[in-house]
Amino acid sequence: MTQFKKQFEALLDYWPHEGSGLRSVRNTAFGRFKELGLPTKKWEEWQFTDFSDLKKSDFQLSWVDDLPNLPKEIPGRIPNTHLIFMINGHYQSQLSGLPEGLTVSTGLDHFNANPDEYNVNGNPFIALNTSMMNSGVSVAIENNAVIEKPIQVIYLMTDFSAPLMNHPRFNFDIGTNAEATIIEHYIGKSPTPHFVNSVSKIRVRENGIFSHIRLLETDGHGTYTATTKYQLNRDAQLNVTALASGGKLFRHDIELSFEGAGAEARLDGLSLTEKAQHHDQHVVVDHGNDACESHQLFKYILSDKASGVFNGKVVVREHTKQTNADQSNKNLLLSPKALMNANPQLEIYAEDVKCAHGSTTGQIDSEALFYLRSRGISKQKAIELIIGGFAKEIIDSVQNSDVKSYIDDKVTTWLESTMHHG
Amino acid sequence: MLEIKNLHAGVDGKEILKGISLTINPGELHAIMGRNGSGKSTLANVITGRDQYDVTSGSVTYNGVDLLDMPPEDRALAGIFMSFQYPVVIPGVNNTYFLRTSLNAKLKHQGLNEINAADFMRLIREKLKLVNMDEKYLSRAVNDGFSGGEKKRNEILQMLTLEPALSILDETDSGLDIDALKIVAEGVNNFRNSERSFLAITHYQRLLEYMKPDRIHVLIDGKIVKSGDMTLAHELEEKGYSWLES
Ligand SMILES: Nc1ncnc2c1ncn2[C@@H]1O[C@H](COP(=O)(O)OP(=O)(O)OP(=O)(O)O)[C@@H](O)[C@H]1O
Ligand SMILES: [Mg+2]
Repeated sequence: MTQFKKQFEALLDYWPHEGSGLRSVRNTAFGRFKELGLPTKKWEEWQFTDFSDLKKSDFQLSWVDDLPNLPKEIPGRIPNTHLIFMINGHYQSQLSGLPEGLTVSTGLDHFNANPDEYNVNGNPFIALNTSMMNSGVSVAIENNAVIEKPIQVIYLMTDFSAPLMNHPRFNFDIGTNAEATIIEHYIGKSPTPHFVNSVSKIRVRENGIFSHIRLLETDGHGTYTATTKYQLNRDAQLNVTALASGGKLFRHDIELSFEGAGAEARLDGLSLTEKAQHHDQHVVVDHGNDACESHQLFKYILSDKASGVFNGKVVVREHTKQTNADQSNKNLLLSPKALMNANPQLEIYAEDVKCAHGSTTGQIDSEALFYLRSRGISKQKAIELIIGGFAKEIIDSVQNSDVKSYIDDKVTTWLESTMHHG
Repeated sequence: MLEIKNLHAGVDGKEILKGISLTINPGELHAIMGRNGSGKSTLANVITGRDQYDVTSGSVTYNGVDLLDMPPEDRALAGIFMSFQYPVVIPGVNNTYFLRTSLNAKLKHQGLNEINAADFMRLIREKLKLVNMDEKYLSRAVNDGFSGGEKKRNEILQMLTLEPALSILDETDSGLDIDALKIVAEGVNNFRNSERSFLAITHYQRLLEYMKPDRIHVLIDGKIVKSGDMTLAHELEEKGYSWLES
């Protein structure tokens, strides 16, 4: 805690000329963070995840001095996309060639234009992010603009020698009738501990169509906490595909609210964990308007001593009509020591609803394994095929073929490496 | 080719096979009939290496080699194939990719070059015709959304593609309509030659009429109680199994 306080004070010193509005938001947020503290196992929604390492750690905020040389090749680059690139939190505007129909702004501009978006309700990580937000961008897609190629936002953490932290803030605003794909892509490449605590707010306005690809790729040295809030206006369409691979700890809170009638959302997630990694995802989908549809499918593959938590809640508000919501969670344990905690919930306060939810956790199907082996396929290859088949449903939810093959490659590579060391 | 001697096997300490002896020579087709639960599929699974069954005594050799210590994939590579009574659905694993992977495993084992995707498509189209299967089944996941009869045809398609020396057909005729049964039986008959052997498990005389087995065995409570030729099948059709029970 004292480390966070020290870093907070250092940040205030570093930017002495910040506007008083932002200052006061930061102060309020840090006050709230201090008051709440980091979650403990006694908190109901946080009970399966241990944040005590964060308390002990000595993460320092990233300053401009921490900007390493630009890598010759930007890791994780997906072909045929527009690039927005941040390295250790520092925005590389010169690398970002962007098409017409969208504007990119940095945090301060967005704050000045939308101060209301920066209230500090919610969990301690939102408060912590708001108090020290130091990176990230806002992307606004103009009304009626159709951005053909996906926009890849790479947030790379690399090449630092002391434990580093960042609190990125992203806003994606998809205008009325607009259409776009944004890849929010976190990459952690460092043997030194790091902590990335992001808050992303996404609004899809009337009739807008938005694909959000959220990728996290790192090994076991990073702690990633994230909050993603989706707000959908009337007749908006949202497609989310999330792949999270690795991380010492990954906690993701996803909140989606339907703020107009007739909107539709698909949320698909695949979580890959090995060694002693821990992934914890909490999803709340709030149906507060008529004729909205939401479909969720979250899959976890857990190897070694990895552990996972999935907590999903669908709320259907009173007096809403024609709600169609389903939520499914499927988990594959590759080792007897891997552990999964799943808790899908429905809270329905209306009558005109079509809802389904379910969760299954199991090991590799021994009948499927025998079937493949009985055709001469080695045990190892057969297991890879079965796991690949399990992941395929999520990969197939991606429409853009470049993005899809990128994700497919990542899953295959992960699988091969996990199978070989395991 | 296949030699089973006094085989005892079971699951979780419960004995299912209680002393089976059976020899199948190259080019022969043997049939096994018997009541539900008599142990027919268990025998097929023990031969192909399903590890949930424990062999407590006896032996199974294939071309003189002890099969029982071999993992299932090695048995398959040695030329043994089973058409499953209940083919398994494998979600997300493409049927074509699966079949090509298994054929390539075999080719590699034989020291041959693997087959590329285009050549494989040519090959598989030929085989599809033999079992009267539509190409659309190739693009689905293995057995996913296949009807009972389609699954069985998919099994025979695999047999025709992998060209095993010993094929065990576990109730391949169950679930096939009359026309499909004829097509599948013809497919198997055309595939027969003086080197390939078969063990066909069935409940119905009709399949046997098509396939003309060299030998028919009746399995009751884990034991072969009677063996004979086609006249035995006719006798069973008429009298059922009770006259064979002690
Ligand atoms: N894995 C298993 N676990 C427990 N019992 C088993 C298992 N496999 C087979 N059995 C039992 O062993 C007996 C023989 O089963 P098997 O499947 O070999 O019969 P079958 O002769 O093939 O019958 P059917 O004609 O119905 O296919 C049955 O009583 C069955 O319940
Ligand atoms: Mg059977």
